[in-house]
Amino acid sequence: MFEQAISAMASVVVDPYLLGLIFATTILGVIIGVLPGLGATTGAALLLPFTLTMDPVHAIAVLATIYVSATFAGSITAILINTPGTSAAAATTFDGYPLAQKGEAGRALGIAVISSTVGGIFSVLILCFAAPLLARVAYEFRSPEYFALTVFGLSMLASISAGGAVKNLIGGIFGVWLSTIGAERVTGIERFMFGNYELYEGLHFVPIFIGLFAISELLVQSKTVNKIVNTVSMKAVKLPTLEDYKKIWKTILRSCGIGTFIGVLPAEGATVASMIGYSEARRWSKNKKEFGKGSIEGIAGAEAANNAATGGAMVPTMVLGIPGSGTTAIILVGLMVHGLRPGVYLFTEQVEKVYQIFGSMFVANVMFMLMGLYAAKLFARVSLVPTQILWPIVFALSVIGAYAFQGQLLDVWLALIFGVIGFFARRHGFSVAPIAVGLILGEMVETNLQHSLKMFDGAWWMILTQPLALMFLVFAFLGLCGPMIFSWITKQKD
Amino acid sequence: MKNIYLVPLILTIFSLAVIAIALQLDTSPEMIVGDSMQARSFPIFLMILKLILIGILSFQFYKNNPKPIALEKYHTWGSMFLFLLFYLLTVYTDMFIGIFVVIFLMSILWGERRIWVAFLTATITPGLVFLLFDYVLKIRFPRGILMNLYYG
Repeated sequence: MFEQAISAMASVVVDPYLLGLIFATTILGVIIGVLPGLGATTGAALLLPFTLTMDPVHAIAVLATIYVSATFAGSITAILINTPGTSAAAATTFDGYPLAQKGEAGRALGIAVISSTVGGIFSVLILCFAAPLLARVAYEFRSPEYFALTVFGLSMLASISAGGAVKNLIGGIFGVWLSTIGAERVTGIERFMFGNYELYEGLHFVPIFIGLFAISELLVQSKTVNKIVNTVSMKAVKLPTLEDYKKIWKTILRSCGIGTFIGVLPAEGATVASMIGYSEARRWSKNKKEFGKGSIEGIAGAEAANNAATGGAMVPTMVLGIPGSGTTAIILVGLMVHGLRPGVYLFTEQVEKVYQIFGSMFVANVMFMLMGLYAAKLFARVSLVPTQILWPIVFALSVIGAYAFQGQLLDVWLALIFGVIGFFARRHGFSVAPIAVGLILGEMVETNLQHSLKMFDGAWWMILTQPLALMFLVFAFLGLCGPMIFSWITKQKD
Repeated sequence: MKNIYLVPLILTIFSLAVIAIALQLDTSPEMIVGDSMQARSFPIFLMILKLILIGILSFQFYKNNPKPIALEKYHTWGSMFLFLLFYLLTVYTDMFIGIFVVIFLMSILWGERRIWVAFLTATITPGLVFLLFDYVLKIRFPRGILMNLYYG
């Protein structure tokens, strides 16, 4: 198994086509990352239709590369123009931009590049070791356990950073309901189709995701038209000095752990990881006063954590079929579209492909480091592309991408409708990621509940007698009610 | 009624409508469903859960009294109108004519003053995307005025 894994990972380096693809996608990912609004999730949603004709490993490598490189690249604009290219880089602005204003933009970017690379590589290594182990545990899962696990995944939506807990849960339930559209899987009864037989197989994820992430973002960006951007000048990216390393190595290691752990949690992602990474860096720092004024520990804490979350988020995605973030929800769809069934079988029957994907992520981390060090200044200029040119192009890519997936115009209309729904949802403080995650998990929840009920002759409470299922349900309960219970206990003590 | 309660109200109406439609769904014979659930049960369960959450959300609004959201500028509403225009042009003329017109008008609407830049963006983008999807990815586009000329 170990030998097979190593040889599969090494095969990435000797495959010139795959290497070229990762290189090109890294450039694209960095460009997507530096363009405000076009984050990893939107980028992956737009690129998904382009991967349809690719070999499965190449397709997932493209999506995973976009994920890691765009997550890193958000820091470039966060540091240089105080506008995070991706939400995961929001915490980087707290200290990155102040340091850049002091004339040390190159140093800030150097710290961000190194921290991101270490975080990314650390999490890929954890992914390589943890995923097969978790897959072995998941081998024991039956319908009650999978049902409880998906309920746990949905409960974690409550703690996604954007939107409040209640709003996120409403979004998640809406997403689960969307998954019920079409013919019911056991009885074949048509639900909410209104005579439209193109919906018989249900709503497909690709056009919905393009709508929710890309089209809704276009409408959000329409509000920022004519916004004036102040840039900070920079000569070149500077590698951290030995003194810098001494100051930040503990922070980087801590954030690697935090980021990977947060990433593994279903429905959590790089944004939450970077915020926690940043606040923990501040909590443990000897120079707390420097935070917010250009602390290199602050930059390292946020950047190592957000890239560490990328590998972590791939663990539940590939092993359990539960996306760890919005972008991994799209990667999960990519896996399904290419016939790679996420779960235990992926790790028993298609181990080689799994490790080639991991290897690609490793290579992508090294490539974005080189690009970050040698071409960050160039990439930063891309962020100045006028919105009135960029977003109409995104519109074209969105509608053609939605059409290309199944070759039906209904998908284009669905993308546009869900774009408008996503926009209004975001306008009122609802995040769109819970809708996407709910849509993916919806089928799993319903099917496994049905199977569990059949298993126990309709006695639903028997699910609670299964130890692993009970554990997941307790976690779900704690995830939902824990914060309320703890705040109540604290109030009582006070 | 305050504007802030408009969202919970819309969500409530939506949830009740889903429940009403779900109640009209066919039921399966006992021998197929067995001890499992009818097709209508799961959506109804979801909507009840949603109604409870909407109740909590309304209570939060009542307690916190959030600020009303400012209306968007014409760029946003105009972009949505362009989506509608795209639909009409695609259905009645051709998808690529729709894309061309929308890109051109969206560039102008969002503040592009150089007509030739908007025109070039509207021409080059769909052109390149068409070439990529047609030649590389072998996608057949829906028939319309332009596609009929191309496919014959």
